[in-house]
Amino acid sequence: MNPATLKRIGLGGITGNPIAFAVVLALMALLLAIPLTHNGYIELVFRNILMYAAMAYGWNLIGGYTGYVSFGNVAFFGIGAYCSAILATHGVDNLLLYVLLAMAVSAVFAAIVGFPVLRLKGHYFAIATLGVALAVTDIIANLDALGGTGGLALHQVDEAHFSIYYYAMWLVALGSMLGTYFIARSKLGYAFVAIRENEDAAAVLGISATRYKIVAWTIGAMMAGAAGAVFAPANGFIDPSITFAIDSNVFPIAMTILGGIGTVAGPFIGALLLAGANELLQRFFVKAHTLFFGAMIVLIVLLLPRGLVWLFGLRGGARAWLKSLSVYKA
Amino acid sequence: MSEVALRISNVGMRFGGLWALSEVSFDVERGSVLGLIGPNGSGKTTLMNVISGVYKPTAGEVTYGGKRIADVATHDVCHLGIARTFQIVKPFASLSVRENVAVGAMYGRYGAKRSTRASFERAQELLEVVGLARVAERPASDLTIPDRKRLEVAKALALDPDVLLLDEVMAGLNATEVEEALDLLRSVNARGVTLIVVEHLMKAIVSISTSIVVLAEGRKIAQGAPADVLGSPQVIEAYLGSRWVKRQEQLAVIEAERIEAARLQPPEAGA
Amino acid sequence: MHLIAQDLVNGILAGGILAVVALGFSLVWGIMNIINLAHGAFIMLGAYTTYQLFTSFHVDPFLSLPVSFVLLFALGYLIQRFIMNWVARAPVLTTFLLTFGLSLLIVNIALNVWTGDTRGVTTAYSGANFTLGDVTVPWAKLFTLLAALAITGVMQLWLTRSRTGRAIRATSMDIGAAQLSGVRVTEIYAIVFGLGAGLAGVAGTLISLSYALNPSMGDLFLVKAFVVCVLGGLGSVPGALVGGLVYGIVEAFATQIDVTVGGQHISGSGLQDAIALVVLLIVLIVRPTGIMGKATA
Repeated sequence: MNPATLKRIGLGGITGNPIAFAVVLALMALLLAIPLTHNGYIELVFRNILMYAAMAYGWNLIGGYTGYVSFGNVAFFGIGAYCSAILATHGVDNLLLYVLLAMAVSAVFAAIVGFPVLRLKGHYFAIATLGVALAVTDIIANLDALGGTGGLALHQVDEAHFSIYYYAMWLVALGSMLGTYFIARSKLGYAFVAIRENEDAAAVLGISATRYKIVAWTIGAMMAGAAGAVFAPANGFIDPSITFAIDSNVFPIAMTILGGIGTVAGPFIGALLLAGANELLQRFFVKAHTLFFGAMIVLIVLLLPRGLVWLFGLRGGARAWLKSLSVYKA
Repeated sequence: MSEVALRISNVGMRFGGLWALSEVSFDVERGSVLGLIGPNGSGKTTLMNVISGVYKPTAGEVTYGGKRIADVATHDVCHLGIARTFQIVKPFASLSVRENVAVGAMYGRYGAKRSTRASFERAQELLEVVGLARVAERPASDLTIPDRKRLEVAKALALDPDVLLLDEVMAGLNATEVEEALDLLRSVNARGVTLIVVEHLMKAIVSISTSIVVLAEGRKIAQGAPADVLGSPQVIEAYLGSRWVKRQEQLAVIEAERIEAARLQPPEAGA
Repeated sequence: MHLIAQDLVNGILAGGILAVVALGFSLVWGIMNIINLAHGAFIMLGAYTTYQLFTSFHVDPFLSLPVSFVLLFALGYLIQRFIMNWVARAPVLTTFLLTFGLSLLIVNIALNVWTGDTRGVTTAYSGANFTLGDVTVPWAKLFTLLAALAITGVMQLWLTRSRTGRAIRATSMDIGAAQLSGVRVTEIYAIVFGLGAGLAGVAGTLISLSYALNPSMGDLFLVKAFVVCVLGGLGSVPGALVGGLVYGIVEAFATQIDVTVGGQHISGSGLQDAIALVVLLIVLIVRPTGIMGKATA
């Protein structure tokens, strides 16, 4: 069994395993009930999971489906957060407007930056996107109008209505998930995958790699931007180190890979697992939680190198799984 | 006189200090089958790359319907009605066979007018035409070499071309399969598609071509009806050499044996 | 005028360290196609090795260079041999994630051993410097630069001349062909990853002479390693040196920018990373495979 076959068997089609997707939709429905029973800490934990899921979906479009590994998506999250903050400081107090502006600005920024950056391939693209993220961070940190390193405070709704942020984040995550599902099944999805598999062969079939890479990158940016737009008022305060944290950059990538890269269910499953485990470990192991967290990632990669979604499509039980472990061995 | 579909005029292609092609000119008539032959390294694949817009020629030009191919982006060449296969097959490994063909139907010449569903239906039709319907759901990376060649042809046909460039689609096929492939190409041609065929199998070329162009060391050395070109002692002796012909026959036997041994095993993916 | 000369010297001195920081990262990425996110953690371990030897046994930081190298080489070798090797042929993102996990693990262990407090290595010559005309040169940084140059030179010689070095380069060009010629790929990979870690350890030792230490110090250097190695050309030893020097100099000059545009005061000292990265973007757009990279992709 060669690696490509292995990948295909587990993932079942361009949207991934349908059972995994059904499970994820059911989980999303359950998450709608969280604020009814648990507010406060638990609600915050799940709001973070939803936020990471939306960012992971954004990354999955360019990194998973199109095969261009970006280290810059956190820039769009940050831009989204600052869009909310700017509107808030101008007295606008409407979450929908925050999200719409954030998506528009992220999209425009992504398209402009995309033209030079997406000409680069592989490693060079990865590094250029990291450059974009760091440059945006530095520039915002140096703009007094945006609070510089001191950050900006946002007006929040009163406590009785606080769950509105949760529901908004839920909608952003759901939109990102369903958006990914419908895009993947459409012509667009096939263009992305064709570019990932072989750019030259895609061109001969009439696919303009540059155009569709920018489309994937821009739609992904809108997802991250929307998540940032809700995060800012929900958190009540933003500054460059919160909004452009390394975690916000690496976590969504790690979640997508752990869940199942290039699938619709993967980013959500990865977000639930990773962000959930991170919270639990932080609660129970004050000093050593990142140690366990790191060890957990190492183990999952070694035991499930194709991601969790792959398990849903695995046939042949434990023996097939054991056999799969040495597929990537040198 | 029939209409000229493709005009290759004075095409030269240089890689570093080497001219892979120089001063190559010929016309391809609409609806004809042009056989392109020559020893290894004579520039056949390079010419295919120039015609399909993958390379921009260093000198001269290729025009199709009065339009210079070099002015058209690679991804727009198929929208003019020119499609090609690759000698080294390039399937999208993680997509199924049907999806591979459907991508062509979605983004090819009439792709803009096709829905996703219609593209899949078109792909299924083409898989039946090339004889791959039995493996439509399998990942492309699982295919054997002969099936990969069929997939290449199906992908190219999905672009609804007027001109189809076929780069060694019969290499690696056994005698029965070659016959099947020839029947397929004849039926494609019968629907009005102009074919340019690069092939090492002389018998196949002779039986399908309406005219033949011979390349050697990047230059056109002969052109004409198959019987005239190949029967000409001048071409055989002066350009191919009798030893070359004999050697090709020997090589074909060795190749056929090697392929029979390997064809049942799919190649390693990602190779 | 003297400011320009001073910036140039500061840039070159910083660039030498950056070259060593990027060298191991670049070799591992270029030869094994692994983006090693634990590289920063290895640098941190190298720095703390020097700190521990210095505070406990008064070993001069320069003398602890070989110790850092050997310890980190062993760690890298073992990690590759017993952990990374399981996914050696997996897509680059799989190993990327694995090294992310390793990095979290190592940094957390360091936090528990050395706490999060900022520490430093202060030697007798730490503050010493000499002046050359108007330009001030700290001795420690000068020796660091010389050490960096020596290490880069030795690496280049070893990779091109030694038997193992040639096997490594053969493996990076064509794994299958190298295996057929009798190269033991598992062993070669372990050596390269060990080398990457060892060089990170050396970089950590050099860094400890001029920068403060804390367990998460590696992050900053990881990002710089990323940029420098792409700037210079992936997997290229001379590329790492050139990339390091270019980055160091650009950063040094960027700190001098001090302008006011439309009432908005812009100071280069906060923006030096942004400026360095914009330079990187321009380099990549003009030369998509780095300064010393091969002309074809």
